[in-house]
Amino acid sequence: MSQVTITVDAQDYRVEEGSLLIEVLIQNGIKIPYFCYHEALGADGNCRMCMVEIEGQKRPQIACDTIVKEGMGVRTKGENINGVRQRILELELINHPVDCPVCDQAGECKLQDFYMDYGLYDSHIDMRQKIHGKKHVDLGSNVMLDQERCVLCARCTRFTADVTKTHELGIIGRGDHARVSTMPGRKLENPYAMNVVDLCPVGALTSKDFRFHQRVWFLKSTPSVCHGCAMGCNIFIDHNKAKYKEDTIYRFRPRRNDAVNGHFICDAGRLSYKALQENRQKEFELGGDSCTEQEALEAVKTAILEAQNITILIDANLYNEEIERIIVFASGIGATVLCPSDCYYDESFGDTWLKKPWRAANIEYINRTEIEHRLPEGSVDLLISFNHPSSKTVDSRLKIIFATHQGHKADILLPISLFSESSGSLTNIHGMTQHCEKAVEGEAPDLIRLVDMIEGEL
Amino acid sequence: MRDARIVSRRFDIPQIHTIEVARNHGAYEKLHWAFALSSDEIITMIHESGLRGKGGGGAPAGDKWSLMPLNDSRPSYLVVNCDESEPGTFKDRQIIVKDPHLLIEGIILTCYAINAHHAYIYIRGEYAPFQQILQTAIDEAYRAGYLGASADGSDFALDITIHRGAGAYICGEKSALLESMEGKRGHPRLKPKQKECEWYFGNPTLVNNVETIASVPFIVYDGPMAYRAFGTAKSPGTLLFAISGHVERPGVYEAEFGVSMMEYINRFGGGIKGGKKLKAVIPGGASTAVLTAEEAAGATLDYETLQSMRSALGTGGMIVMDEDTDMVEALKNLLEFYRHESCGQCTPCREGTGWSDIIVHNILEGTASSTDIDRLLQLSRTMNGQTICVFAPAVSMVIDSFISKFRDEFEAKLRKDL
Repeated sequence: MSQVTITVDAQDYRVEEGSLLIEVLIQNGIKIPYFCYHEALGADGNCRMCMVEIEGQKRPQIACDTIVKEGMGVRTKGENINGVRQRILELELINHPVDCPVCDQAGECKLQDFYMDYGLYDSHIDMRQKIHGKKHVDLGSNVMLDQERCVLCARCTRFTADVTKTHELGIIGRGDHARVSTMPGRKLENPYAMNVVDLCPVGALTSKDFRFHQRVWFLKSTPSVCHGCAMGCNIFIDHNKAKYKEDTIYRFRPRRNDAVNGHFICDAGRLSYKALQENRQKEFELGGDSCTEQEALEAVKTAILEAQNITILIDANLYNEEIERIIVFASGIGATVLCPSDCYYDESFGDTWLKKPWRAANIEYINRTEIEHRLPEGSVDLLISFNHPSSKTVDSRLKIIFATHQGHKADILLPISLFSESSGSLTNIHGMTQHCEKAVEGEAPDLIRLVDMIEGEL
Repeated sequence: MRDARIVSRRFDIPQIHTIEVARNHGAYEKLHWAFALSSDEIITMIHESGLRGKGGGGAPAGDKWSLMPLNDSRPSYLVVNCDESEPGTFKDRQIIVKDPHLLIEGIILTCYAINAHHAYIYIRGEYAPFQQILQTAIDEAYRAGYLGASADGSDFALDITIHRGAGAYICGEKSALLESMEGKRGHPRLKPKQKECEWYFGNPTLVNNVETIASVPFIVYDGPMAYRAFGTAKSPGTLLFAISGHVERPGVYEAEFGVSMMEYINRFGGGIKGGKKLKAVIPGGASTAVLTAEEAAGATLDYETLQSMRSALGTGGMIVMDEDTDMVEALKNLLEFYRHESCGQCTPCREGTGWSDIIVHNILEGTASSTDIDRLLQLSRTMNGQTICVFAPAVSMVIDSFISKFRDEFEAKLRKDL
């Protein structure tokens, strides 16, 4: 593609010929307000907020419907254009309930942000003459609609029309009575439905799962990768440690990565944070009774030293670094490492987009090692399971389990941290290795630290 | 004022809507002659005639036709816009009810010229009874062999399908009409960056008003110069002007462009009802700027003159208001219509039509303050030129003209203590 030079606010930019002006502005960090445009959905031209002045054009133009040309002169600032945006924003707000104090979007709301820049701060509207809509419409799939807060940018309807092609959402009614709605007798029901909550620039669509649980300005966002399946969709882990409470994850949000998941994640992955935090294994246990870390490590050492043969089961959700560490540990104690993988495969979960039937985040890394995908054969004397879901199906004289969650029966049980509580990398089904940062401060020990200590004892 | 009847020339013949009577009066008679012409020859005739689109915009029809690719691998379509819903406009239905075979013949000629083998007539849902008449005429034309696999014995195939709208004013906007025909919500599309034809499911499409298409047979058979014999140099030909409101004989009467507005009102409309004085005229359907009686006295019915008066000829549907008309009430009436019919796509129109209706409501109720009139004008400026289609700019023009020309009536209704 050839490049052209355009001037924005008296500064020159070399940009790709034929690109949309709004994309150029966003990519170059030039402030431009918009509701309806979205990188994944393209331009729709309905909100009229992204007005700019273009040299030689009589009237302001919308940047989302302007294609850059050689020598184009653009003004995004100034009294005139600010006035235009101000008056359009006033119209966006004319029938808006301005219920920010009780709105879950507050803090990440485009209406609020733009109001700070282009607000009138002096209402011209008689509040009694506002048009009212329904405040709580359950669209389905955890998505709640507040019609009054909607700016009708049509991002949600375009998502179901163009991305999922499920067409559940549409706009009904005309003029100032136009409303987002589901088609008659239908619910919003598709495996990616909750993305409309992220797409909604205002508080019209909120997640039943997240709303009223946490104010967004308290949340810290840590980049990570979803562990719901082998796709490795990029996410933000939004979490907060409130006073006297544990550091808690409140939601997963998609993090843009055009090479993996684009802008979206599936609902199953999005909601997987809940099971992650429930029923955590917190204590070291010996024969079902809690013990200290030291006692447990002692017992592990004795068991390894006395074992006739050792089989290690390794969970295909562990980080690459953890898997490598366990392989080294296993060769030191002469153990066979296996990863029985039937339990990870769920044909019904997969689809042709983001959801993969392999429901283990790092199955591809296991594939790239010598580790076999089978259950152990013959009698196992000592079984050491690193959080593998099939541990209980294997019979052995003695069982040691390193577990993130409760529900395991073992002679020695050691708690380990979650992926959100440590950092590491994962290799997704397409062979792409991605890094996850440590998000949450957990109580359970890091797996690699425990293995180091055990090896040190031997 | 001389008689000028092109489209309405057979209107008064009894039973002309039946194919037998229509044929006895020349319908379809010269089709075979037209089929001997080439596409280019017909398009050149349309160019030379200066025919202008009669749906309100007045764009030269020949230019629009020339945008159609003649050798495209995709099928081409003609869509006849019969979503007539502009207040004060009721001319297209006259053609459908009185002389549907004229329209069908115009469609055959147009499709032949642009090489389209399927024409759609998009008719507004409320026109159900007229649609029946049109459908009967189409069926007759099929049976008589003017439509179908071989039109009038030629090797030109043509089908006509009527598509009923669901009653949205905005679907008269050509791109919203096509969206609606594609089964979507009737939202106007973003304008293309260069001049191009319209697209129906991605196929090249020509959209023309009923009356435009009904003018085609005359131009093709009698020649462009015969058409140019009527009207002015820049607005050639005739229009089915309509007149409603406070006149003695409201109705649709064809006249050539350039005639005096008052002469038209007096001759066809029979003057102002009850011998009252004229107060104002909306010249071309609701969406044009209102003219005062003085302006109307100097107006002629052509595109250029009305444009020079900062109004527009529009559809030529005049709404006449006598001296007793309350202009605030009249504006309220129009704004209720716009508020109801705004498609709701662009913010300035969706919210602006509603808010302006509320402000005028407040003025009528006597609860508006002295700043509200200027607020209304400011709002109208915001609605002008900042939306996808020309709906909001039209509303803006209406508001501006009512307030600037009759401001004293608005001020008289304001609450005095504010």
